[in-house]
Amino acid sequence: MLSFVQTALQKRVDDFHAHERIDFDFHRSSVASSGNERLKRAIDNAVLRSDRGRSLKLLELPDSDKLRDLAGEIKQHTLDHLDYYLEQTAINVEKRGGQVHFASTGAEAKKIILDIVHKANCHNVIKSKSMVSEEIELAHVMEAAGINVIETDLGEFIVQIDHDKPSHIVTPIIHKDKESIAELFSNYFGTPYNCDPDALTKQAREYLRDVFRKADLGMTGGNFIVAETGDICCVENEGNVRQSMTTPRVLISLIGIEKLVPRMADLSVMLKLLARSATGQSMTVYSSIFSGVRKAGERDGPDEFHLVLMDNGRTEILASEEYRETLRCIRCGACLNACPIYRKIGGHSYGSVYPGPIGALLTPMFQGLGEYKDLPNASSLCGACYEACPVKINIPKHLISLRRDIVDQKISSPIERIIYRIWAWTYMATWRYKLISFGQKTVLRLQAGGSSWLKRLPPPGSGWTQVRDMPTPAAKTFREMWNAK
Amino acid sequence: MNDPSNVLGKVRRSLGRTAPLTRAPVPPSLSEPLIRLVLSDIGLPQLFEKKALENKIGVTPLRVDDLAAELVAFLHSKHVKTVAVPKSAFLDRIGAVDALRAAGFVVSTWDEMTVDDMYDVDASVTDVWKAVAETGSLVVRASPEHGRCLSLIPPLHVAIVEPKNCVADLIDLFETATASGDASAFTIITGPSKTSDIEMNLVIGVHGPEKVHVFLLA
Ligand code: SF4
Repeated sequence: MLSFVQTALQKRVDDFHAHERIDFDFHRSSVASSGNERLKRAIDNAVLRSDRGRSLKLLELPDSDKLRDLAGEIKQHTLDHLDYYLEQTAINVEKRGGQVHFASTGAEAKKIILDIVHKANCHNVIKSKSMVSEEIELAHVMEAAGINVIETDLGEFIVQIDHDKPSHIVTPIIHKDKESIAELFSNYFGTPYNCDPDALTKQAREYLRDVFRKADLGMTGGNFIVAETGDICCVENEGNVRQSMTTPRVLISLIGIEKLVPRMADLSVMLKLLARSATGQSMTVYSSIFSGVRKAGERDGPDEFHLVLMDNGRTEILASEEYRETLRCIRCGACLNACPIYRKIGGHSYGSVYPGPIGALLTPMFQGLGEYKDLPNASSLCGACYEACPVKINIPKHLISLRRDIVDQKISSPIERIIYRIWAWTYMATWRYKLISFGQKTVLRLQAGGSSWLKRLPPPGSGWTQVRDMPTPAAKTFREMWNAK
Repeated sequence: MNDPSNVLGKVRRSLGRTAPLTRAPVPPSLSEPLIRLVLSDIGLPQLFEKKALENKIGVTPLRVDDLAAELVAFLHSKHVKTVAVPKSAFLDRIGAVDALRAAGFVVSTWDEMTVDDMYDVDASVTDVWKAVAETGSLVVRASPEHGRCLSLIPPLHVAIVEPKNCVADLIDLFETATASGDASAFTIITGPSKTSDIEMNLVIGVHGPEKVHVFLLA
């Protein structure tokens, strides 16, 4: 009987995935959002504040640059010996009464989690925010399997009831204004419209308190796992992660295999950097460190604890010595906040749960370069992300390497390749270069008709001027000026 | 350990190894001058107070003899009627629980409560495991006597901190935690529960207490 139910459930989950059509066109999505002034202002405002907060708070550290080096080294060391630390983690979690499951794909992770939920006969799941669960769209799958699952982080709750998607890895609803949230709440709860953030938060709080009270299963992610003790470390400001590890009788932590650090003491390095980099706080309000089941005599905390460690493409990145360091990422969001491109186009344009500079790396690596070949180009290579990253991932360098891979693997369109070939050929001889720049200058100046800005370039440059103007070429080229000197 | 698709093996292969390491790897050494922000153990309670206030944790420094009266007055001013406390020899010894009962509060001790009861309580009054001067944080640790929900569910959390609870820096906290690593959970609390999710407007009081107050004993 049970197996029949499970097969039926599995089918619903599979159906759900069949309907999930990937239909991603970075060009279309980014052009659409870069034209949206309201969105741009909202994101700019929010993100610049975090970015300034980060720079200020890092000044409290004796030498934040060297501390970032150290944090990077700790994470790199862990990745270089990940098999050892994963085994150590598993042993320690089991010692504390927890069960450890490795999942090689998202589908496997979802199956493991659904099995746990059904075996433990749980019906009301409270879920706190975690990027891995977004990565595999866990909440949708649970809903499709008939489980009552509620996102309990305020931002994620709003995303859930609006059937929207998060647009930032730390502040998921920076693309929403309070008016639209007020409208949503008014419709959802059937209450009068009130766009005061305090009132909106209160309303969600009241609703979610009942949800917490009834919950029989809690789900968390994890910012870090301490291999030497098997502890999970989760940081947050609201208290909903604490609810997950306190109230329900079953607790599942779903975490990517790259989230380990060797020692408890490493947390002092990581926590000093994480909140400062993410939101410009010295510490988040709650940092919870927990593992296993409640001890004999304890009257709250889970009776049953599962740690699900998910691969889902990470081992492939691990296997590349070049790209391995991208797995150091502690998902602080600092590179998003620092990125001029992210600030213009917002998180949704990146077409995946990981937006911004780190998303432009991770998404093509997780999902394949084919569909996401435009993402590594969504960068001006200004280096602000590298400057901001608390574990010093050299994001610009890897973006360039991915561009190289796109060329090597011949993923770009044939026309593009021909154009670049012609370009290279033109620039290889002085007379050809001179001829082309003369032609270019003459045509464009004619088209500009005396104006110093060109509104539209002829194809194939027309795409470039779709969202910006181009300065009209100068009357004299640099060469001409140099020769006249 | 449940590893049907041999993820561990895949990790090992990705790192170019076929067998487990025979010796434990040596992680980078943690250079204290880089990490440590609080260099001295002098004046920790004062530093804790300053930092806690920055984090919007209220602090009343006082002598232990004044605690009972101040605590009662404070809870009255917050219109508290029902209070939850951990089972704590320390709270008993300083007479906090008796004083609360004598002042007419309905006091429940954690060992006779359920998590569900906690939702109907106005405030909790607890001891703490540690207090971190560097960050102005309270650290509470799960035990049969001290439930995780005490400092989480009631809208007001009052913590009584002794000078000997104070550690200087997060490094010291984690060192102590490693050394006495027998708790199922501990939480570092650095302020009242809050969110800035809606247009970056700071709102205090989401799923945890909207007010945290410390009575700091001399
Ligand atoms: S890449 Fe670096 S800056 Fe970006 S989210 Fe990850 S850790 Fe933060």
